[in-house]
Amino acid sequence: MDPSNLLDPRLLIVTGKGGVGKSTVAAALAVAGARTGRRTCLVEVEGRQTFSRLFDTSAWDFTEREFRPGIFGLSIDPEASLVEYLDMFYGARRLSKLVVGSTAVEFATTAAPGIKDVLLIGKVKEMERRRDGDGRFHYDLVVVDAPPTGRIVNFLRAPDATTEMVNVGPIRSQAQSLVDMLLDGRRTHLQLVTLLEEMPVQETVDSVAALRGLGVTLGPVVVNRVLTERFDAEGRKALTDDLEPAELAALLTDAGLDVGEDAAAALGQLGYSHLSRLGLQERMRDELRRRVTLPTIELPYVYGAEFGADAVGVLARKFEEAVT
Amino acid sequence: MTRRTADVLAAARKHDLAAAVATKHVIVCTGAGGVGKTTAAAALALAAARQGRRTIVLTIDPARRLAQSLGLRSLDNTPRPVKAVPGLDAMMLDMKRTFDEVIDRHASDRRRAEAIKSNRFYRQLSNSLAGTQEYMAMEKLYDLHAGGAYDCIVIDTPPTRNALDFLDAPKRLTDFLEGRFLKMFLSPGLAAGRTVGRVAAFGTGIFMKAASRITGAGVLGDLAEFFQSMEGMYEGFKNRAQSVYRLLQSHDSAFVVVASPETPALREARYFLQRLAQDGMPTAGLVVNRTTPPAPEALAHLTRPRAEAAARRLADGGPEHRAAAALLELHADRVDVHRREQRAVIAALHNVNPRALIEVPLMGSDVHDIAGLDAIEAYLVASEPSRSAP
Repeated sequence: MDPSNLLDPRLLIVTGKGGVGKSTVAAALAVAGARTGRRTCLVEVEGRQTFSRLFDTSAWDFTEREFRPGIFGLSIDPEASLVEYLDMFYGARRLSKLVVGSTAVEFATTAAPGIKDVLLIGKVKEMERRRDGDGRFHYDLVVVDAPPTGRIVNFLRAPDATTEMVNVGPIRSQAQSLVDMLLDGRRTHLQLVTLLEEMPVQETVDSVAALRGLGVTLGPVVVNRVLTERFDAEGRKALTDDLEPAELAALLTDAGLDVGEDAAAALGQLGYSHLSRLGLQERMRDELRRRVTLPTIELPYVYGAEFGADAVGVLARKFEEAVT
Repeated sequence: MTRRTADVLAAARKHDLAAAVATKHVIVCTGAGGVGKTTAAAALALAAARQGRRTIVLTIDPARRLAQSLGLRSLDNTPRPVKAVPGLDAMMLDMKRTFDEVIDRHASDRRRAEAIKSNRFYRQLSNSLAGTQEYMAMEKLYDLHAGGAYDCIVIDTPPTRNALDFLDAPKRLTDFLEGRFLKMFLSPGLAAGRTVGRVAAFGTGIFMKAASRITGAGVLGDLAEFFQSMEGMYEGFKNRAQSVYRLLQSHDSAFVVVASPETPALREARYFLQRLAQDGMPTAGLVVNRTTPPAPEALAHLTRPRAEAAARRLADGGPEHRAAAALLELHADRVDVHRREQRAVIAALHNVNPRALIEVPLMGSDVHDIAGLDAIEAYLVASEPSRSAP
């Protein structure tokens, strides 16, 4: 049960409940990939420009750009994927011009709801399979900041959903080949992200069951924003054995901080609420361990007045440690 | 921070949601996924019920334990009394059933309604058309409003990635239903004089060619059947969507935007506040859940460098010294995180007025019972009259 295979598959689909920090984790995985010598591509699928803001680059689009040495990034949307798809299968540039920018895309994708995802994942597959002139794969790692888990489960059921609707045509065979890719554990891992809080843990338990039922290979569960205890065992005991505000204030005064007893009492409170959060976290950790039989990788809560590329770098180190 | 943003922020912090809870007929909680919308909606409903208003909270996908504490066991579209709170009902939205009810209401006869409900495309549409869930939430909301059984209806919106879907949903669905391409299906002669409207004729236009290349031919057949059987219902849909929109725009309604203190959630909150203003929708406030509170007064002047310097001096001492050092580090971290969160809030509110800004601090444990909701309620609806809305 060790997480050292984290970066082994070529494709990592990062997903989880809303608000758990999927994008941050996807970014950190990509950075870890590049730092461990993998030619990496980070993919945004919902056009929210999360990564261009995070890495402070110009806006991302359908063109793969090397925004840092060894890491490429692109933002895919169904329309651009559709144009490429039509080009690829029909050489239909003229047709694609007519289709794109009209409501036709909206129409086609509404007609068979799985299609939007077929187009998005289709582009991902193209990158995952792309080979250079020398026959080697172009990317060693493709990291997708994917929609919440429910939609992925729907998509994996999609050959039923999509093909019930779409019983002929290229979309059907395409959909099937995408499902094959997603279910091939040597090529693809789904990377669940969670927090040590009640709802995210519950949802992770449910997702693991649903995804396993579909035959997906799951990577280690990434546990985001984990608080680390600031006290050593003796220090914690000293606090909880009634470290009186007056006593604490005296210690602080000796250390050059003459802040008074009220301040000392407030600091003590801070310590107790820290311990209470840690207690909750520990219960959730047990719950996760008990109900999900997958290795986990914990990422620390990143303090600091800014959350940006530096913070992502700190998290990426954790992934590097896990694989080396 | 500009002077103006600072003023808006200072003014907004003085207000809360007491007036909305006391007077509004509809309260919509909206925001990004995972920010605590359901909890906020439940706490607001609790507050309204406690004021003696007959209240219902309509939720989409509550956390299991919260649902249990509200007495909800299944998604069954049935209002259930919340045992611990007299005057409060709770209900979970059953999308499929709501959509079926819509069809039953608008179809000209039963046979036609059954034809629609058994169509393959309908079965897909009712589950997965973007915006369907939002549309159904609106439907149910209007239903409860028209039913007249409640003084106050609180609804939390579906956990969509893009909160804007919620406002767009009725319009998007009606736009789609009366769209140009749909008309091509339904009205012979619209597509450049060709007879379109029979399944066999779909291959004619270049658009149809493109569409069937993407979807496969079978889809278009089902689609045509679906739209043909829906004919005559569009007017009903459209009127309904417009009524919902008008209800949301009226002074009887209030929107509460919910966010977490992280930038992505706040960015969505900002777009939503802007959009509400643009559409003339009544905004009651922005709730930022799980915030890191500022240092208390006694510690307000203890800066990170001073705290760290003292912590270093204490670090090599006995257990009490090391405990004191850890407390100073916790303080320094909290000050940083508070500042980071405040910066994100300020950025989200640049040139945007939320009217009320309520920051609910991170609680010691997850909120999953009435006592937890009470604690949240205390922030959303503070009792001092000075905090009530203008």
